Amino acid sequence: MSETVISLNDVGIRFRRNRRSRRSFKDLFASTRRRTRPGEFWALQNVSFSVQRGEAIGVVGRNGQGKSTLLKLVTGVVLPDEGTVNVIEGVAPLIEITGGFVDDLSVRDNVYLTAGLHGMTRKQIDSRFDDIIEFAEIADFIDTPYKHLSSGMKVRIAFAVISRLEEPIILVDEVLAVGDKAFREKCYRRIEELLAGGRTLFFVSHNERDLRRFCARGLYLDKGALVLDAPINEVLDRYNAEYGIKPA
Amino acid sequence: MLGYFWSILDPLVMAGIYWFVFTVVFKRSVGEDPYIVFLLAALLPWMWFNGAISDCTRAFLRESKLIRSTRIPRTIWVNRLVLSKGIEFIAAIPVLILFAVFSGATINADAVFFPLAILIQAVLTAGVGLIVAPLVVFFRDLERAVKLILRFLFYASPIIYATSDLPKELHFWAAFNPLSGIFSLYRAAFFPGELDWFIVSVGAAMSVAFLGIGLLVFSRTERAVLKEI
Repeated sequence: MSETVISLNDVGIRFRRNRRSRRSFKDLFASTRRRTRPGEFWALQNVSFSVQRGEAIGVVGRNGQGKSTLLKLVTGVVLPDEGTVNVIEGVAPLIEITGGFVDDLSVRDNVYLTAGLHGMTRKQIDSRFDDIIEFAEIADFIDTPYKHLSSGMKVRIAFAVISRLEEPIILVDEVLAVGDKAFREKCYRRIEELLAGGRTLFFVSHNERDLRRFCARGLYLDKGALVLDAPINEVLDRYNAEYGIKPA
Repeated sequence: MLGYFWSILDPLVMAGIYWFVFTVVFKRSVGEDPYIVFLLAALLPWMWFNGAISDCTRAFLRESKLIRSTRIPRTIWVNRLVLSKGIEFIAAIPVLILFAVFSGATINADAVFFPLAILIQAVLTAGVGLIVAPLVVFFRDLERAVKLILRFLFYASPIIYATSDLPKELHFWAAFNPLSGIFSLYRAAFFPGELDWFIVSVGAAMSVAFLGIGLLVFSRTERAVLKEI
């Protein structure tokens, strides 16, 4: 049961700070050296950890410290500039608020597209479609283009689909914060069900109660480095000590 | 059905215009008879190449959201364009045959090379697409440059004329345009004289080279593309 499903080895990724900084053809073919070019910064560097199947991990850190980038690396939608990312099982990511849904397609088409890209057959999706729509509570808008939905509804349908995929690893970014209280509670109950079913969870949140509720282990990211990898309570204590609002 | 109609209409209108200009207005000295079949045999595959490459300039930009959240092999975003335009081409072949029948062209044994031509063209188109698609992400101007190059390439390739209509000293160099070899293979089905194995083999080698360079460029730029879109 305790098999390593995710392992990151000395991972680093850098981004350009300035979109306009000139990029030359030569740049594209230069091998990825460790050197930082002007106008670039390391979003993450020297990050190493591994995750066993069934673990629930909370990622903590201030805005812009690399939390979402870390989830994207685990999903495999960005590639590291150094080090290696090994993920041996399928990943269901809810990273961007849009969950990779296409604006111009209807809700129905989006459900089929996303589930299809995660390897589900048309039959499997058919059998779950009503369930997904019911969970998201948007039966009236099945044929509405995705772009016309409110942001809360977008998150609802995205979460409903992602949590119904047959992928053993689930990544949930802060996006759930957009949903209303009742829906959030519904999502959390679903997450608990999934965890009980042996899924592996990555959870990013700024809400301590939620983090403590799901996660046993925490990762604390600061200034592009993995500062602490420890039980969630320890991680939250350290985070609060460094950045929390001090009681007056 | 309507989509099929439009994909056929474009090359047909083009062929109609060239046919009118070169057989009615000017006295034609290039190509073979019937000229309309000669034209279509190169114009239809040109539409495949042209359509796929110009779509490739937007391959990453248009679907950026979807690409940002899916981990399927990224070459799919290029290859699906090559494939869909290729299917459109294959679906247009009956129209070519129809014109051949009505204009009295004869189909000969060289028609067996048709699949070979399709294969070489698929390799070439995928190769060029894999070069163009990621580079456009970094150099947005390239989208317009590609359009210009494609228009140039239309006249630089044997579409309204045959390679043998070029001045003698250009024959050798024309072979290095892989489209020359590909179109000569297609045309061989109706005009056996069009088949020139030297041009075809150079074109095939160039196509494979393009695919190699394309795969190299694509794998080298994939990281940066994913960050950029």
